[in-house]
Amino acid sequence: MSKKGPQIDENVSPNLVPMIDIMFLLLLFFMLSADMGQRELEEVTLPKALSVKEDKDTEKAGNERLTVNIYHIYEVKCQAFEKAQVCREDRHWRVGVKGRDFTDPEKLGTMLKKEADTMRGRDPKNPHVSDRKVMIRADASAPYGLAQRSMNVCAKVGIFKIEVGAARPPDDKKKG
Amino acid sequence: MGGSQSAEDNPVAINVTAMVDVIFCLCLFFMCSMHFKQLEGKIETWLPKDRGVNQTQVDKVVLEEIRVFMRWDAGSNSTIRKVGNRAAVSTDQELMQVILQMASDYKRAGKTEFPVLIDAMPEVPWQDVIHVMDMCKKEAIERIEFAAPMEYQPKK
Repeated sequence: MSKKGPQIDENVSPNLVPMIDIMFLLLLFFMLSADMGQRELEEVTLPKALSVKEDKDTEKAGNERLTVNIYHIYEVKCQAFEKAQVCREDRHWRVGVKGRDFTDPEKLGTMLKKEADTMRGRDPKNPHVSDRKVMIRADASAPYGLAQRSMNVCAKVGIFKIEVGAARPPDDKKKG
Repeated sequence: MGGSQSAEDNPVAINVTAMVDVIFCLCLFFMCSMHFKQLEGKIETWLPKDRGVNQTQVDKVVLEEIRVFMRWDAGSNSTIRKVGNRAAVSTDQELMQVILQMASDYKRAGKTEFPVLIDAMPEVPWQDVIHVMDMCKKEAIERIEFAAPMEYQPKK
């Protein structure tokens, strides 16, 4: 006894053209918004400040400015840091420049000196002072001592122009 | 899968399956790697030129300064702030009042160069230091400097 059901035409071919169009648009959007630049900036939760100046000339500044990132080591599980409290464990923090580890002040000093030398002596009154700028991007929950150590090294090698990275609070975006 | 067009419309049937697969993979990759950028800015500061580097010549030694001391108090879990040798302040308003009072005193005395010098202990949270800088900037105090740390000896 064979049972015959209704005959269904299985040869259904959906129209893929609109889907492909949308996929292309999505792809284009994600490609354009993807940040494929050199990772000079580490992921840090910057301290909030209302008076921050917009960093417009990033590319121009990139030539004469070095960014020192002070961030909590991602792999280290730290209760204080996870609760957004200040983590005072020195070994939990890393000082990085252009993705390289410069936690050792001596190593940082050697690198900064080399960088400072390239722009030194422009001011005849202060031939030892360098025009090189340093931006310190430290995590909001980092102890000041870490930033202080980096600034100390900067002063030692003759870099006096220091910029401090801060983020504008989200609800203040429109005002500024 | 040659699309919905019949062979009569387009005699060349292109297999789009592989292309769609690749686009899906690319889309997935970019979606996963995407993150929204935080709006970042900068606050300009200077380091005192008469400290840290011994070779540097200083044009003019600034004796007047508004020194903000900051130290971490583990007991109260907060940062204690005081200006010069005055008593510690408890609120932001109080702090700014003292700073602005000192600034106007200097101006009245004909002084034009009086940096706000932040002298914080290493344990103080970075956020608190930035907060003081931020308040000064909001009050149009442009010259903010960081004091040299203790281990550094001033210029001989």
